[in-house]
Amino acid sequence: MSVLSKLKETLVCLKAGRVTLPYPAQARPVPEKFRGRPVFDVAKCTGCGGCANNCPAREILLFDLCQEIRILQYLGRRCTYCGRCADVCPEKAITMSHEFETGTNSIGDIQQRLELFMSTCQRCGRCFKEPSALEQLKLKGYRLDDVAHERWVFRSKSYLDTEPVVDDIKIEMD
Amino acid sequence: MVAREKLNLLKGKFGAAVQRADMPCDERLFVFVEASALKAVCQYLFRDLDARYVISIGMDDRPFSGHFLVAHDFAFDREHLLCSVLTHVPADNPKVDSITDVVPAANWAEREIYDLIGIEPVGHRYLKRLVLPDGWPDGVHPLRKDFAWNQVPEGFDDTKEFKFDEPPEGCTVVPFGPFHPTLDEPTHFRLYIEGEMVRGCEYRGFMVHRGIEKLAESVLTYNEIPMMAERICGICGCVHNVAYAQAVESAAAIKPPPRAEYIRTIMLEIERLHSHLLWVGLACHIVGFDTMFMQSWRIREPIMWIAEKISGNRKTYALCVIGGVRWDITPEVKDELRGVLDKLEAEWRPVVAAVSKDKNIQKRTRGVGVADRNLVKNAGLVGPVARASGADIDCRRDHPYAAYDRLDFKVIVESGCDVWSRVLVRANEVFESIKIIRQCLEKMEDGPLHLSLKDELPVGRFGLSSVEAPRGESHHFVITGENNRPRRWRVRAPTYQNLQGIPAMIKDQQFADMTISLGSIDPCFSCTDRLETIDLRSGVAKVWTQEELIKLTRAKKA
Amino acid sequence: MHRNIIWMILIGLANVVIVLLVAPFFQGVLRKITALIQSRQGPPVWQPYFDLLKLLGKEDIESGESPLMQRFAVYLSLATVLTIACLVPMGCAAPMNAVGDVILLIYLLTLCGICTLLAGLAAGSTYSLLGISREMMTMIALEPLFAIALVVGAVHTHSFRLDTVLNGSVYASAAFPWSGVIMLAVMLLSFQAFVQRVPFDISEAETELMEGPLMEYSGPKLALFKYAQMAKLVIYSALFVTLFVPWGSSLVFPLGWLVFWAKVTGLVLFVTLVAATHARYRIDQAIRYFAGLLVLALVALVLASYGY
Repeated sequence: MSVLSKLKETLVCLKAGRVTLPYPAQARPVPEKFRGRPVFDVAKCTGCGGCANNCPAREILLFDLCQEIRILQYLGRRCTYCGRCADVCPEKAITMSHEFETGTNSIGDIQQRLELFMSTCQRCGRCFKEPSALEQLKLKGYRLDDVAHERWVFRSKSYLDTEPVVDDIKIEMD
Repeated sequence: MVAREKLNLLKGKFGAAVQRADMPCDERLFVFVEASALKAVCQYLFRDLDARYVISIGMDDRPFSGHFLVAHDFAFDREHLLCSVLTHVPADNPKVDSITDVVPAANWAEREIYDLIGIEPVGHRYLKRLVLPDGWPDGVHPLRKDFAWNQVPEGFDDTKEFKFDEPPEGCTVVPFGPFHPTLDEPTHFRLYIEGEMVRGCEYRGFMVHRGIEKLAESVLTYNEIPMMAERICGICGCVHNVAYAQAVESAAAIKPPPRAEYIRTIMLEIERLHSHLLWVGLACHIVGFDTMFMQSWRIREPIMWIAEKISGNRKTYALCVIGGVRWDITPEVKDELRGVLDKLEAEWRPVVAAVSKDKNIQKRTRGVGVADRNLVKNAGLVGPVARASGADIDCRRDHPYAAYDRLDFKVIVESGCDVWSRVLVRANEVFESIKIIRQCLEKMEDGPLHLSLKDELPVGRFGLSSVEAPRGESHHFVITGENNRPRRWRVRAPTYQNLQGIPAMIKDQQFADMTISLGSIDPCFSCTDRLETIDLRSGVAKVWTQEELIKLTRAKKA
Repeated sequence: MHRNIIWMILIGLANVVIVLLVAPFFQGVLRKITALIQSRQGPPVWQPYFDLLKLLGKEDIESGESPLMQRFAVYLSLATVLTIACLVPMGCAAPMNAVGDVILLIYLLTLCGICTLLAGLAAGSTYSLLGISREMMTMIALEPLFAIALVVGAVHTHSFRLDTVLNGSVYASAAFPWSGVIMLAVMLLSFQAFVQRVPFDISEAETELMEGPLMEYSGPKLALFKYAQMAKLVIYSALFVTLFVPWGSSLVFPLGWLVFWAKVTGLVLFVTLVAATHARYRIDQAIRYFAGLLVLALVALVLASYGY
């Protein structure tokens, strides 16, 4: 009978009690492995560019200001919190924090900009002879990110054949 | 043996029209046929050999082989075989015979091929625009290789409108969507209503295109695509994630380690649990029974918590990389998962028992949204919709993937063909999923989580993968390519086929039943629409003032 | 003479003010208890007051086919409900029973329903027209039920005066009041439809019709319509209590008054429970249901005319 099943359903409901929380007054704690906003540790970062190469949303940019300073910028606009950057970082400099309340009207609150001082060889004063992963990519003409316009600029090999990308930096290889 | 058998049958019947065949393993068959024999081959497979139609795929292969490529995928569920019939279409004359008269389920797929690649299906009776927006210029086809992913087409016409058909005699037109409280995603059904009865409808959807397949071909790499694949859908993301990874692994002949397979299975079943519980709640909300909606979502919440604990997010698990998975299930998590499953089962059983005797809900769902066996075959319906009509198809058993070949479970089949049967199928599949997860937790082997792939993946290989999403079969087709990304990736979500059955399901039913009929296929329009969107700044800049906008929204449109 | 009229008007106004004050509170109680059944916190009991204040403060937009009728419909709706409030005895004697009788009450109740039809016509969009066609069908099947209840009471007491009929008159027969009991059952089974709640809120089915007739209303007009609906809940409950549950109301003031409002609260709780545990019916199923109840009501009427 329908009335009986309705009563049974009501009993199910009342047995449960109240389960909703008055958020934001009272929030539920997030678990350990929660993937929130990534946080970059400037002390550990070596500027290898692995995070930038593997970000599916292309939200990490790398740019060389001069021979010794490399800028790593996390834009955070389309970040999907997938955690690939933290996976591939060889120095474990990226942690996925527990922050998820990232609503703000100023994008600067979310963006992170690391200025990395790259050391030069003590003997000859040049940057390291063996090109780093990023240097290799630059040689192949893949990346020369446009930090001013916040664009990740990808150039394929075929583009390199028509127009030289790296114009005046000559890297000597023995 | 099965693949070889089917190939011999085809060769016997069509002789020299069968040009080439690839059989990478016993469950996959790729047959290249001549373009003139394509329709006959498809008819033979669909009608005589009783295969199930899956999807049609078009591809611009001109940079590689100089032709276009058209593929029709079929599935032999009883024999555990996925088969693809391919043909090359000449670049200067991109026309191919339409198979829609013999395989009615290919209707949308061929319109999509025409929209996006420009291969005209000759003989298609309803060749209207399907996927591209109304103002898109003719002759510009986004999925061609000479169209860049961020290119804006010239000649986009803001004012051009879609031409709908005339309504039948005596019917008023009731627009259902794009804005409607029941729909979570925008879609448009143009209903022809007589009194309170629906006499017909026309569908204009694909408003949630996002350019996923084009991005995968142009910009992203193999390991980045799973992160985007799981965002195709708002509920069944893990399915696309796993299906894509499996398709690439099948193409490149990679076998992930056993622990990874078990973890994939567990996460897929967790997703099925949360999706079915969500759906039961949603169906009750559609018929106005908000209390059951709240209760099923309350019961569902611990699954979201445990998923968050394992993978870091409630829904976008970001689970797969090519060759394995990223997250492990530690012994503590195992115990907690077992506790969650026990509690879930204990709470869900009385609810199902109470709901099955509830005459009030049954009155709204019995005899509504009927889809008989013929419709299932002709429209290629999949998932709980097909199982509720007596069709015993389930990819987990028919085309085993991940760890399903080592597990023991029942496929729930009902024969009522209506919405009530679909409610029962989904409610009972919850218990089967719980059983599967428990078996996985017992049988899970130790070992690495993923392979370390040192070499680049081979180029130009074909891969197919069918995964049983909560809504039905989710089918991915991949051709591996250069530069660490695929040449072509086609996603066929289950709702793509199920939506094509909707006009027949709502015909001659009451208007009030429209929403629950639509809801009963568990539509996921984001899954269906995953194709092209390009930034439509057409170069014509019009600045609307606030008054103009307000007037526009208040003006009555005929 | 003049003092009588002034006194009558004052009590009538007092009734109106009480209804205006108390209607959102009952709505709040309904929402809170629904939330409790649904295992959630729910809004505070004063929430409908805040909602009405918020809506009254919004921009008054007029849209749809006929803005004039839009205004007219909403003013008429609230005015009708408040007029009925003057006629219904709420714990004390009916304030204006010298002015009107049961027939006037029946007409005013029907006028309430007609206001919704006018609102839907004023909007003129496809969904609102569908909504009002459903509302029309429901009204045709539903209004006779209440009318028959009042007429049964009138037949028993041989008078159409409000204070005699609205005083448990359905039980006033010589022998065991069969007609009264049947009418009580009929009214209980159909009460949800009068106050427009699940399972019979078909004309405003949110998930199917996007609010149906009220689709084009926003801001202050929507506030007045919502107010009218809340007041309808109180009015119908008061009518039901005076007709079918009269015991205890004749106690001396303030005890009788408090008993009356306790009974109304009990009825509101009943409405909440049924609304929270049922799914919405389709229009054809609802009409068949009401047709069955109508047959029962006619049987009760026949019995009443024979003195049972």
